[in-house]
Amino acid sequence: MYRYDEFDAALVRERVAQFRGQVTRRLDGTLLEDEFKPLRLQNGVYLQLHAYMLRVAIPYGQLDPAKIRRLADIAERYDRGYGHFTTRQNIQFNWVSLKDIPDILDTLADVEMHAIQTSGNCIRNVTSDHFAGATADEIMDPRPWCELIRQWSTFHPEFAFLPRKFKIAVTAADHDRAAIRVHDIGLHMRRRGNEIGFEVHVGGGQGRTPIIATQIANFIPESQILDYLEAVMRVYNRFGRRDNKYKARIKILVSEAGPDAFRQLVDAEFAAQGPTETLALPQAEIDRVEAYFRAPYLPARTSASAALALARTADPGLDQWARTNLHPHKQAGYTSLTISLKPVGGLAGDATSAQMRAIADLAEQFGQDDIRVTHTQNIVLPHIAEDDLPALYSRLVEVGLATANEGLITDMIVCPGLDYCNLANARSIPVGQDIQNAFADPAEQEDIGRLHINISGCINACGHHHVGHIGILGVDRKGEEFYQISLGGRADEKAAIGEIAGRALPHEEVPGAIRRLVATYRALRTHPEESFIETLDRIGHDPFKEAIYAAD
Amino acid sequence: MTSVRPKLKPETPKAITGWDTATGQTVWLMADGRWSLQADDLGVFTGEVAEARLAAALAQEGQVTDPYFMEVTASGAIAGRETLRENIRASGPTVPYGETDS
Repeated sequence: MYRYDEFDAALVRERVAQFRGQVTRRLDGTLLEDEFKPLRLQNGVYLQLHAYMLRVAIPYGQLDPAKIRRLADIAERYDRGYGHFTTRQNIQFNWVSLKDIPDILDTLADVEMHAIQTSGNCIRNVTSDHFAGATADEIMDPRPWCELIRQWSTFHPEFAFLPRKFKIAVTAADHDRAAIRVHDIGLHMRRRGNEIGFEVHVGGGQGRTPIIATQIANFIPESQILDYLEAVMRVYNRFGRRDNKYKARIKILVSEAGPDAFRQLVDAEFAAQGPTETLALPQAEIDRVEAYFRAPYLPARTSASAALALARTADPGLDQWARTNLHPHKQAGYTSLTISLKPVGGLAGDATSAQMRAIADLAEQFGQDDIRVTHTQNIVLPHIAEDDLPALYSRLVEVGLATANEGLITDMIVCPGLDYCNLANARSIPVGQDIQNAFADPAEQEDIGRLHINISGCINACGHHHVGHIGILGVDRKGEEFYQISLGGRADEKAAIGEIAGRALPHEEVPGAIRRLVATYRALRTHPEESFIETLDRIGHDPFKEAIYAAD
Repeated sequence: MTSVRPKLKPETPKAITGWDTATGQTVWLMADGRWSLQADDLGVFTGEVAEARLAAALAQEGQVTDPYFMEVTASGAIAGRETLRENIRASGPTVPYGETDS
């Protein structure tokens, strides 16, 4: 993975020292909250319902044992023994004291981590495919480009005060696991002959105005991509609306200008860049960054592990987990495994300090020191020998991390909701838990197959409800929590925004409605392999809508 | 800062709540003008007295952040359309978390 050079290290330390001074002035009353708020947000510090929340950047979800152990230490020493992994592949600490945050940031800097640009109207953490560099279905590892974009966008002087926050995602696999079409900019790496380039999607997003991104370029060569991104950002920075927070995202600009007009503006800006201002990224720099992401040496192994096969026969739990939580690796005899942070009845995305340390140990012992955070709030160990899975699984069982549900109905994206968030209108976590409890039987989950339920506690859509196969949005009705169900959303290469099924339901009716939805799917699917979303697409929404309200 | 703070009439009983600036802990203003970490200790105010107390609280920037009115009953129970939110602020998340989660 990327290692800081002396400039990176100095930059981060200087920023911590600067923030320490700002915190001191806030605590002695010199800085008022209105003055301090934009400063703390630029350092990832929010004031939530119960306490300050610190959001720590995990660039493209990449961790190693030292980093996750440091996160565990912070959770234990400064928080309440746990952290919350987010849909931007970051981690949040929910109970930190402001007076401790400069010290926390210093300890993060020790392991080359920070909270810079995890909030505010700037370019946020670049996200990517959590199987990058390991999966068989990618044309190349996209992480070097995530890193180059991270370096370009960090403290970029032109883009520190954008009209609104800005999110970029990159994938290099046919199957989009990074939800690039619901990002401000989504980059899909493509190969043309011997050349690598980027398909550029702009103006996607969720929130109160969900929009699927528009493709504005088919193939921008590697050496030009940063200049092209700069052209997009300049057009947005100049023409994006600043008069209305709810119309300030780039998706509104693309939508109001029209995709063709927006493309022309970007092309004109791109063409107008003078020779002194273009980066024209040198191949040597690309090579330098790519060198940090070289694939680990993995000894040759046979394609089918006899040890794993034997262990699966003896242990039905391992057998089921191996069916659901493994992803094909590019090298025979290896696999990428998902450690689910969605135990039935648990808190989606939460991991205790003990669990984080266990993950560090496993990555060290079995996984080439490589750990990823997924945007679906799970953890991935991307390079695991199949022969090691039985031993690794037993260790996961010991620390409560062996839930076999990756991609299944209980593997939900759930925002913190009104249990933590100042913006939420309704709770998300208890609704998710009630649905999980209604589908607690692992065999039933497996029979239902891939079904993504995403839950948000307000229209800001941190729980990605718009792109859930089943989306659930918490709404406030005169002080009471209600939940609006939508159908047919998806975040992959066939990205779509879900359609609202009808009136919102009270909390207690939601699990039953989901049960009827699933029963309808199982009755209508042509065969067990036809997924929920495929059945929905084939038949249409009507029978499913009827099922939701069948109890009326 | 929450985006949904309802405006309260002068005669509506109200408490004043905010966050301890140094720790971020939720605090409530007591009748005697000190701050408490317990919502049970809150003072109930109305009319001009309430406005004066809030103005004073807003001036305590280094100690308390973003104080605001919260609707309560005359006896000090959390009330109004923000009851659920304020109860969660007072009592913590409604779901077990942390070590109990594993």
